[in-house]
Amino acid sequence: MNFFEKTVQLFTTADYLKLMFTGLGYTVVISICAAILGLVLGTLVALCSISKSKGIVMRVLQGICKVYITIIRGTPMALQLFIMVFAIFAIRGFPTIVTAILAFGINSGAYVAENIRAGILSVDIGQTEAGRALGLNSRVTLIKIVIPQAIKNVIPAIGNELIALIKETSIVSMISITDLTMAAKIIGAGNNLASYVVPMTSAAVFYLAIVYLLTFGIKIIEKRLRASDKR
Amino acid sequence: MISVKNIHKSFGELSVLRGVSCNIEAGEKVVILGPSGSGKSTFLRCLNLLEEPNQGEIWVEDKLITNADPYEHDEIIELSQTYADLYAKYVLENDGTAGDEVKKAVISRIKEQRLLKKREGSLFKKALSQYQAQHGIDINLARQDMGMVFQHFNLFNNMTVLKNLTLAPVQLGLKTPEEAEQNAMRLLQRIGLADKRDEYPSKLSGGQKQRVAIARALAMNPKVMLFDEPTSALDPEMVGEVLDLIRELADEGMTMVIVTHEMGFAREVGTRILFMDEGNIAEEGTPAEVFDNPKNPRTIQFFKAVL
Repeated sequence: MNFFEKTVQLFTTADYLKLMFTGLGYTVVISICAAILGLVLGTLVALCSISKSKGIVMRVLQGICKVYITIIRGTPMALQLFIMVFAIFAIRGFPTIVTAILAFGINSGAYVAENIRAGILSVDIGQTEAGRALGLNSRVTLIKIVIPQAIKNVIPAIGNELIALIKETSIVSMISITDLTMAAKIIGAGNNLASYVVPMTSAAVFYLAIVYLLTFGIKIIEKRLRASDKR
Repeated sequence: MISVKNIHKSFGELSVLRGVSCNIEAGEKVVILGPSGSGKSTFLRCLNLLEEPNQGEIWVEDKLITNADPYEHDEIIELSQTYADLYAKYVLENDGTAGDEVKKAVISRIKEQRLLKKREGSLFKKALSQYQAQHGIDINLARQDMGMVFQHFNLFNNMTVLKNLTLAPVQLGLKTPEEAEQNAMRLLQRIGLADKRDEYPSKLSGGQKQRVAIARALAMNPKVMLFDEPTSALDPEMVGEVLDLIRELADEGMTMVIVTHEMGFAREVGTRILFMDEGNIAEEGTPAEVFDNPKNPRTIQFFKAVL
């Protein structure tokens, strides 16, 4: 059988198709949930780290945030995933998919936090000063003036992070979750398609399609946010 | 209206203001001149606490906007442990004579050598915080009455011209959105930019931006306007339109503090000139006095260079 015939076979055999789309489902669910968790966590951590409050609570929080970012960015994702699955959530019956979402969300949060922090700091200090000089308090100034401008600046970096996240979820195959990558591998090996080339290529096309869709969405958002720019 | 008492400000090792005091009365147009690095902008930014002085007090209309500085209040110094110790020591050294003489001497020594410690006992602390509570004002509230215009305009880039003018009055609950918009349109008409209401700042020229920035400050109906080199970032051909607007405001009786390098303008609009050098007011007086008959050698040298 040649490449073309095998492709037809992959997309016409119910078992293969079911496996592929189950895998796709896992990849998408893990990516979306982890992305949401990462964005929320990252925003909170970023807000903590830029706070100028000198209170004891905030200082402790800032310390925790610093340690969190350092550890997460300094260790491999696969290792973090293993630690989460085999150590922290090594509870019988605890769904591994939830563990995976937590692991990826926590990992993503550290990168998002740094992106958002950089984005907020990239907004000219004059914007804050102008807001404060009018009598607005620091919270309103941040929410109404600084963050809207920061978002515009961080969208490309956040997009990058989300793309990296989607592709990185492929390592959940290492903890026996049948995501898209794992499905392709199973079809190629165990289910007697007798070829890795077709399922792997198909999986690659699926990943590409997801990433392309995401990129497209980000472009639209970016364009709308840039309405106030000359460019 | 604004009363500045002995303020000091340093950035790390660099001491920028070294004990500046002055009073600004309602209706005055105070122009601050001086070489770069003399502390003029820092001084202006201290007036609405964009920079917080390390020492000294700033009062705006009988309200203390900075932290209370114990060194400005003899009656609070008297409650400190340091005072009690020193007083006892003086009395001992002078064979038991006590009284007002000793009191004065001790207080002036504490002030001169800045002897108060971080921990001075509860009486002292209580008096200080009581004073603060009695005379202090929330800085956000105080800033509502002080408009500020920046060298680099600092218009909110993510908002239209109209939104720039209405944001603060609406957010602070001073005006309903409709009132704020009416007021904003009146101001925009006045500065001749009513047709730009829906443009974003990036579409405006420098002169237009600065006029909008002035209108944004005016939208709060401030009692005093602070101008921080309002024309320094403008192309020469746009300086005139901004100065004209400031001049108009001055003629209407607005209280103003202006940091500028426009000597002709300073002379024409200012009712008082403060010449600053090395973190101090080196000379002050009416424009005629300072420009035509400067006394401080540093002032003379400066005018020789710029006029």
